[in-house]
Amino acid sequence: MTETRMLDQGTTPIRFARGWHCLGLASDFADGKPHAVPGFGGKLVVWQDSEGELNALDGYCRHMGGDLTQGEVKGDTIACPFHDWRWGGDGKCKAIPYARRVPLRARTQRYETTVRNGQLLVWHDPEGSAADHDILPPELPDVMTDKYTPWSWHTKEINGSHCRELIDNVADMAHFYYVHFAFPTSFRNIFDGHTATQFMESKGRPDTSGAGYGDENSTLKSVATYYGPAYMINWLEVDYKGFVTEVILINCHIPTGPETFTLQYGISVRKPEGLDDKTCAYIAERYTESFGEGFLQDVAIWENKVAVQNPLLCEEDGPVYQLRRWYEQFYVDVADVKPEMVDRFEFEVDTTKANEYWHAEVAENLAKRASAEASASADA
Amino acid sequence: MASFVPTSEETLDDLRHYTEDRLVEVACLDCLARVRVKKNSDHQTSVQWTAEARSDCQEFVRRDQRPGGRDVHKPCARLMASIDDAVRAGDVPVGAYDGY
Ligand code: FES
Ligand SMILES: [Fe+2]
Repeated sequence: MTETRMLDQGTTPIRFARGWHCLGLASDFADGKPHAVPGFGGKLVVWQDSEGELNALDGYCRHMGGDLTQGEVKGDTIACPFHDWRWGGDGKCKAIPYARRVPLRARTQRYETTVRNGQLLVWHDPEGSAADHDILPPELPDVMTDKYTPWSWHTKEINGSHCRELIDNVADMAHFYYVHFAFPTSFRNIFDGHTATQFMESKGRPDTSGAGYGDENSTLKSVATYYGPAYMINWLEVDYKGFVTEVILINCHIPTGPETFTLQYGISVRKPEGLDDKTCAYIAERYTESFGEGFLQDVAIWENKVAVQNPLLCEEDGPVYQLRRWYEQFYVDVADVKPEMVDRFEFEVDTTKANEYWHAEVAENLAKRASAEASASADA
Repeated sequence: MASFVPTSEETLDDLRHYTEDRLVEVACLDCLARVRVKKNSDHQTSVQWTAEARSDCQEFVRRDQRPGGRDVHKPCARLMASIDDAVRAGDVPVGAYDGY
């Protein structure tokens, strides 16, 4: 009897996750102009009012569908370029300069906003609930002070994959070796309530000159927690030849369509004692580049893989099913959240066997490389 | 409303297999928490909590009162020690005979 296993690609949800989503650095929106942010199957308009508050509304005017992101900030409102209807941050139409009065029901979709760690977060819920401030990501002490380098912030559009692919990384031990060129020596997951955490220690592979996790001279201690469906704080301690740097990496995304999302990441480095700001900025840029390349390594995989609803796992794999069960809570109505989606779950991966095989493979690669180099120089 | 919808029945069996099979109950020796545990090898451990057990764990209760940060998600050392005891006593079978 041969039983061939079939890939179940499933069907992706038609809704977008409930929770806090980061739109970018707050300071980037604070110039008195309207900003367009693609998100949740449409487009949002973001602007700062005279009080300094950041506001986010659906980008399309409820009058005749004008594009508010091409409008103008007038007073505290965003004015539509089509007929100048003025919309307030509370979602209400405040004025129609040519009309005797504003019609009843002149209310558009607003997103509650908050600023955390210098970033603008909006609350999204298809059920329209009030924002839950209890589940905001924590404030990062000392970040945004002169103890840390300012956020180096980057945005990347991802096409052709659902953002769950990005989430799957949380439980994916082995890809750190193959995709990110590092030996994950210790790997643990904890899912609890609205958070999902990955604890990892890794060491770069000496047979690749990989970015991000892959430098042979660096060992990494990483704690990465998702606070809700779309915002991760990754605390990293990078030991580079004995020189330890504390790096904070934010990895967040906004779903834009059923198979597209905008990935954003930001890096802030704790300034090492005794280094001037220029050197610190240089170090921060190197880490930003390196982790940015790390994301690109993932993206290359996502762009070419298929969705799998029924992954087949081996003993060395992390708890993908439990992670997805956790992730599911953000895609169902609050009333349908099941206990197992939020119940605490802990998983430690046994990395011993995997590392034995990997070290042998790397030793072989290095031997091959050395003999190729030897014969090349003998020929010369 | 359904979200990620599998298109085959077997996927649901997989889901049950990966999340429910072989879990064995272990009680914490220091508090009232009872969790379910599965071990594929000496170094691999799965721990499935319930809301009740979660609130019974004094270590977590203490931690939940602290502000959030990088360490709040760590396992409870007492529970982990209790699991080790249960494994030594032979109450938790070790090994992934079914491959996971
Ligand atoms: S469409 Fe916006 S004012 Fe008419
Ligand atoms: Fe990755």
